[in-house]
Amino acid sequence: MLAAVMEQRPKLMVSAAAGDSDSFAVLIEPLLDPAYRLAAVMLADRSAAEDAVQEASIKAWRKFRQLRGDLKSLRPWFLSIVANECRMSRRQRWWSVIKVADVPSSQTSAEGGATSDLHQALLTLSPEERLPLVLHFYLDLPLDEVARALQVSPSAAKSRIYRAAKRLRSDLTLEEVF
Amino acid sequence: MSNENFRRELGHVFDEVAGSPSAALPDRVRSSLAVVPEQRGPFWIAGVAAAVIAAVIIGVLFVANPLNRPANSVGPGVGSSPTPSASPSPAASPSASPTSDSTLPPFVCASTAPITSAQAPAAAFIDDLRTGTHPGYDRLTVQFQNGLPASIELRPQSGATFTNSPKGDQVTLMGKNGILVILHGADVHTSYSGSTDIKTGYATLVEVRRMEDFEGVVQLGLGVSGAACYRAFVLTNPTRLVIDIQAS
Repeated sequence: MLAAVMEQRPKLMVSAAAGDSDSFAVLIEPLLDPAYRLAAVMLADRSAAEDAVQEASIKAWRKFRQLRGDLKSLRPWFLSIVANECRMSRRQRWWSVIKVADVPSSQTSAEGGATSDLHQALLTLSPEERLPLVLHFYLDLPLDEVARALQVSPSAAKSRIYRAAKRLRSDLTLEEVF
Repeated sequence: MSNENFRRELGHVFDEVAGSPSAALPDRVRSSLAVVPEQRGPFWIAGVAAAVIAAVIIGVLFVANPLNRPANSVGPGVGSSPTPSASPSPAASPSASPTSDSTLPPFVCASTAPITSAQAPAAAFIDDLRTGTHPGYDRLTVQFQNGLPASIELRPQSGATFTNSPKGDQVTLMGKNGILVILHGADVHTSYSGSTDIKTGYATLVEVRRMEDFEGVVQLGLGVSGAACYRAFVLTNPTRLVIDIQAS
């Protein structure tokens, strides 16, 4: 599916840029899963994550003409819109922050077991700290794509990943992270 | 813990937090896209806005006449003395110096208030580092591609040992003393591809070395053979920071 879409992307991008929403939908369909995972970790709320991805898809469609660069730019560009949408979502519904903070304890009690140290440490990170970790470790984006999604330089992206990882495991070395 | 173990365990935790998207998500997105028209910018408004902004900028430049105004400077006594606009390569040779000494600030041997720029770009890209030797001083010129950085600070020091950031190790340059030049809101990797460790061979300014280029902060270490006395000022067209090191 992904390979097939990749082959069609040049034509799809042209037709999407010409205003064909179906082409745009085909283009971003392989990105919906990573986008959802990114949003779900940032928001720690699966339902809100799907809402954020849907809203981000609409915004991406509206901004599609602003996309610059080659096909490789699509994924970090779209994920940066998703991340922005998550930030907006948290700002607009400030009470969800309280809800997010409640998630670990409720999940723990529901499952009847203690979550791992790493799990608990992850949920103590702010969404902004989780973001580079998700992009690099979960979605396996290369450093340059992480940088484009975060809209920072590669060295700054590397620094953010390392800082956040160190907050999870204080004894990690740079070599163990990258 | 190895990278792979850390990545695997973290991935497991992420899976626990995120779960999987519902199977209906692609259809949900597709149907929402179908009912939302692509936003097509009112380009004529953008054109008019651009024309108005251009007219305002031209008006401001015409009124302010910045090329005849005194240059900004780091160091005392500069604001009152006009500094002429310069030729493109002020430090290439002694005869190419764009300023006469009478209009320049005096040499100082201590830290001075940093120069700040209210209209600084997000990152001022350094695109050239030049050195030159002149009667009575050696010169370093730091040229910017897109305007001045947010702040420029010079810190003279005894000894020529600097901290290499962010690594943290100590680096000793040539010379007996040094000056640390700190530029906030700048980078020296986007538009600059020249040497980051310049050994000049001059009598006074003997070495210039990049000590930091990280997250919008650039630090340059200057190795000086004598006392770390300097004068610094900014010239325009192109924008550049000029640092003269006084010969002992």
